[in-house]
Amino acid sequence: MIAFTLRRLWWLAVTLWAVFTITFVLMRSVPGGPFDRERVVPPEIKRNLERRYNLDRSPWEQYWLELGRLIQGDLGHCMNLGDYSVNYVIAQGLPVSAALGILALAFAVTLGLTTGVISAAMRGSALDVLLRLVATAGIALPSFVVASLAILLLVFYVPVFPAAGWGSLSQLALPAFCLGAPYAAEIARISRTSMLEALSHDYIRTARAKGVGRAGVLLVHGLRNALLPVASFLGPAVAGILTGSLVVEQIFAIPGLGVYFVKAALQRDWTLSMGVVLVYTVVLYVMNFLVDLSYGYLDPRVEYDA
Amino acid sequence: MLNCRGMLLPGVAGLGALCAVGWALNKGRLEPADFTFVNGTEVKSLDPAIVTGQPENRMINALFEGLVRWHPETLEPIPGVAERWEISADRLTYTFYLRSNARWSDGSPVTAEDFRYSLRRFLDPRTGAEYAYQAWSLRNAKKYSSGGRALRPGDAVEVELNLPEDAVNTRRGEVIRGKLLRIEDGSGNGVPLPSIGTQSADAAADAWTYVVVADGGEHRYRCTDDSTAADRAPPPGVRWCRQVLIDFEQVGVRVIDDHTLVLSLENPTPYFLNLLGFYSLFPVQRACIEKYGSPQWTDVERIVCNGPFRPRFRRLRDRTRVVKNPMYWNASAARLRSVDFLATESSVTGLNLYLTGEVDWIYDVPPAALRELLKQRPPRDDLNPQPILSTYFYLLNVTRKPLDDGRVRRALSLAMDRRELTQGLLGAGERAAYSLTPPGLPGYTSAECPPEDAAEARRLLAEAGFPDGRGFPVLEILYNTHETHAAIAQLVRKQWQRTLGIRVKTRNEEFATQLNSQRALNYDISRRAWIGDYADPNTYLDMFVTGGENNCTGFSSARYDQLIRDAAREPDAERRMAMLHQAEQILMAEMPLIPMYFYVSKSMLKPYVRGFYNNILDHHPLHAIWIDREQATPNPFLRGRR
Repeated sequence: MIAFTLRRLWWLAVTLWAVFTITFVLMRSVPGGPFDRERVVPPEIKRNLERRYNLDRSPWEQYWLELGRLIQGDLGHCMNLGDYSVNYVIAQGLPVSAALGILALAFAVTLGLTTGVISAAMRGSALDVLLRLVATAGIALPSFVVASLAILLLVFYVPVFPAAGWGSLSQLALPAFCLGAPYAAEIARISRTSMLEALSHDYIRTARAKGVGRAGVLLVHGLRNALLPVASFLGPAVAGILTGSLVVEQIFAIPGLGVYFVKAALQRDWTLSMGVVLVYTVVLYVMNFLVDLSYGYLDPRVEYDA
Repeated sequence: MLNCRGMLLPGVAGLGALCAVGWALNKGRLEPADFTFVNGTEVKSLDPAIVTGQPENRMINALFEGLVRWHPETLEPIPGVAERWEISADRLTYTFYLRSNARWSDGSPVTAEDFRYSLRRFLDPRTGAEYAYQAWSLRNAKKYSSGGRALRPGDAVEVELNLPEDAVNTRRGEVIRGKLLRIEDGSGNGVPLPSIGTQSADAAADAWTYVVVADGGEHRYRCTDDSTAADRAPPPGVRWCRQVLIDFEQVGVRVIDDHTLVLSLENPTPYFLNLLGFYSLFPVQRACIEKYGSPQWTDVERIVCNGPFRPRFRRLRDRTRVVKNPMYWNASAARLRSVDFLATESSVTGLNLYLTGEVDWIYDVPPAALRELLKQRPPRDDLNPQPILSTYFYLLNVTRKPLDDGRVRRALSLAMDRRELTQGLLGAGERAAYSLTPPGLPGYTSAECPPEDAAEARRLLAEAGFPDGRGFPVLEILYNTHETHAAIAQLVRKQWQRTLGIRVKTRNEEFATQLNSQRALNYDISRRAWIGDYADPNTYLDMFVTGGENNCTGFSSARYDQLIRDAAREPDAERRMAMLHQAEQILMAEMPLIPMYFYVSKSMLKPYVRGFYNNILDHHPLHAIWIDREQATPNPFLRGRR
C-alpha cells in the first residue's frame, strides 16, 4: 500500500513534468504573444514588458527558469491580470469551484444512484423508461441549454432563485444543479447497467433463496458490486467538476477557476494557463489515485502491489 | 464493517456538501451598494499607468482624478485637480493652477510634483505603459519613452544606475545627468547614425555602450538588469546601468511651485485638454508606490488615490466595491456612498441580473435580446441606443492581387449593401458608415465614399479585367471568432457573390491570432474596428500613414502622410480640420478599408438613476450619478430616443 502510494507520487512528478513541457512548447508555438495588442505597443515598452517575464531570453533559458520556479511552488505572475500572482488567482478560484463542485457532485451521486437503482429494480416498467429517457436527455443536453431553461423557469417565470452571483446558498442552487445534471444522468445510466449486471449473478439468487429481503438484496448485495464502474467514472468526473466549468461559471457569474482554462489561453496569459493546466493535472491524478484506492474497499479481490 | 463501507461514499459526499455550503454561507450576503453595475471583465490592475480597456477606464475614473475631467454629458474638459489653466497664444504651453484643497485619500495634498512624478513614471519604458503614446504630444515625451534607441549623440541624457536586486521594484536608481557623446556597439565601434534613432527592437542594441560626459569626465555605460549587474562585473572601462534615456528635463513637464504646473507640447494639439482627462494620465502617489512596490501598492488596503471614490474590497472576478472618498475635494458633490463594480463577463448574464433588479446599469445587451427589447411598445423607458465613436470596417490588403487595383476595392465597397447589414442583421439603430471617422466629431465633417451602386460596381470590376466576376480569384474574409462577425461576413459574402459574381470564402481566427495575421499582411480582407480615445478625427486617420503600426493594409500615400503631418503642426483649428478632411478624402477614394457601420451604445439604465447621459465616448463618470426614486420627469438618458 505504501509502496503503491510512493510509486504513484513518483509518477505524478513525471506526469507534471511532461504536462509542463508539452504545455510550454504548445503555448509558444501558437501565433501571438501575451503582449500583442490591437494597438501596437511601442517596441521599447514591449521589450520591458517581456523582460519582466523573462520572455526576452531564449526559449531554452525560459524553460529552465520556469521549471525552477515551479519546483519552488511558485507559478509566477499573471501576464494579463497584472495585480495578481497565479498562486493567488488559483487560491481564490479553486475553493469556489470546489465548493460548487462538491455540491453538484453530492446532488449528482444521490440523484444518479437513486434513479439508477430504481430503474434497475423496476426494469421494463413505465417508470424505468421515463427515468432512462430523462437520463438520456440529461446526457445529450449541453449544460448551457440546461442552464438557460433553468434560468427561464426558476428565475423569470417562477422567481425562486437569483439570476447569478456568488455568496449565498440560493445563488448556489441553480449552478450546482446545472453542473451536476449531466453527471447525475451519466451516473444513473452507468449504475442501472451495472446493477442489472450484478443482479443477474448466481449469488443474488442464492441471497434471495436464503430469504434476504428485496431491499437487502438490492442495496447490500447488488449495489456494492454495481458501484465499481460508477467509481471509475467518478474519478475523472470529479476532477472536471471540482476545477469548474467554463459554461456554468460564465452563465451564473461564478468567480471560479473554470473560465481561466479557456480565457487564459485566448489571452496568451502563459503563466496563468500553465498554472491552471498543472492544477487540473494534479486534481485529475489525485482523483484517479483515490478511485484506485476505493477499488480495494469495494472489491477485496483487488491487490495494490500486484 | 459492511455497513461502514456502505456509508463511506454518501458520508464523504454529505460531509463535503456541508462544508461547501458552510463555507459559501460564511462569506455572507453583502449589504447592497447604492449603485451596482456590470463592469465586464475583471480589471487588470488599479494602476492607471499600465491598464487599457473600458472596464479599467470606469474603475480608474472612479478612483483617480486628473488635471481635468470630462463633462458627463458634453465631454468637454472641466476642471479636475486643476482649478483653471492658461494656454499660450501659439497653443504650445499650458499652465495649470492646481486647487489647494485637492488631497490624496491619506490626507496629503495633491501637488504639481505629483503630476511630474506620475507623467515621468508613465513615460518611463520600465513602467511598461501600453498607452504611453497618449502623452506623446508633450515635448520630447515620445523620445523619453522610446528609450536608448531614440537617442542621438549630443542629446542631454539621464543614466539610471542599477539598484540591489532586492530593492523595491518601483524605486528609481541613482540618476546621472550628462551629455551623450556617442554610442558604440559590442565590439567598440561607433554605431552609425541610421541605426540609432530607428526604433528597431533588434537584440544587437542591447550590447550598445553609451559614452556620456558627466561631471566633467567621460563615462561609458551599458544597460543591464539588476540581477546581472549584481552577479557579473561589467566589461573593463564600462559601468552597468538600468537604462539611458533623454534627460527628463527636456520633456515638456515643469513644476513652478506646489500648485503650478507647466506642460509644453511638441505641436499645437487641439485635443490636448481632452487627453488630460484620459485615465492613463491620472496621477499616482509616489510615497505609496515606492513604499510597497508594484503591483503590491494597488492592494485595497494600501492604495492611495485622489478620486471621488476609494476601493473597499476586491473579490477577484466577482465584484469590487468602492466607497466615497471623504478626502476628495468635491466630496459633497458625489452623491453615491458606495458602488459595486460587478466583474460579469457574459452579456446574457448581465441582462439577467438587470432584468431581475440585481444591477442598475448594464452597458451591453446581447444583439438578439436587444432587437426584441427595442420592438416593445410602448417603448421601454430604460433603453436608448445612440451613436458612439466607434467604426466597424474591413481592411483590404492592397499588396495582394487583385486588391492592389483601386477599382476592385471601390467595386467591393459599392457592392456592399450596408442598409441590409444595419437594418436587417444588426437592428439596434447602428448607422451605415461611408467614412472611417464617425459623425459627432466636433468641428469636423467626414469625407465619404460613394454609396451603394451595383451597376457602377460591376462596371468598375469589368474595367479592372473581371467582367461579371470572370477570372476573379477567390477572396477570403478573415474575422476574429464572434457570432456577430461571422454573421456579418456571411452576409457580405452573399452580397458580393450576388452583385459581382465573385467567389468569397470566410475564415475565423481567435483574436490574438487574427491580430498576428493582420500585422503580417497574411489576409485578403480582415475585420477591424476602431474606438476613438478622444473626440478628434486624428485618432482614426493617423492609423493609415505609411508604415503606421496600425495600418496593416500595405496602403501608402505620400500626399496622405504629408496632410496628416501638416495637420499635426497646424495651429489654426479650422485649417487643420480641412487638412484632415482632405486626407480622409484620399482614404475614401483609395479605399484600403471599407467602412461598414458605426456602433451604438447599448446601455440599459434603471429609470431612477440620474446624472447619466448618452455621449459619443460612452463615458459615464460615477461621481455625477445619483439615485432618485421619486423623480417623475423623463430621464435625460432617454433624450433623442427614436
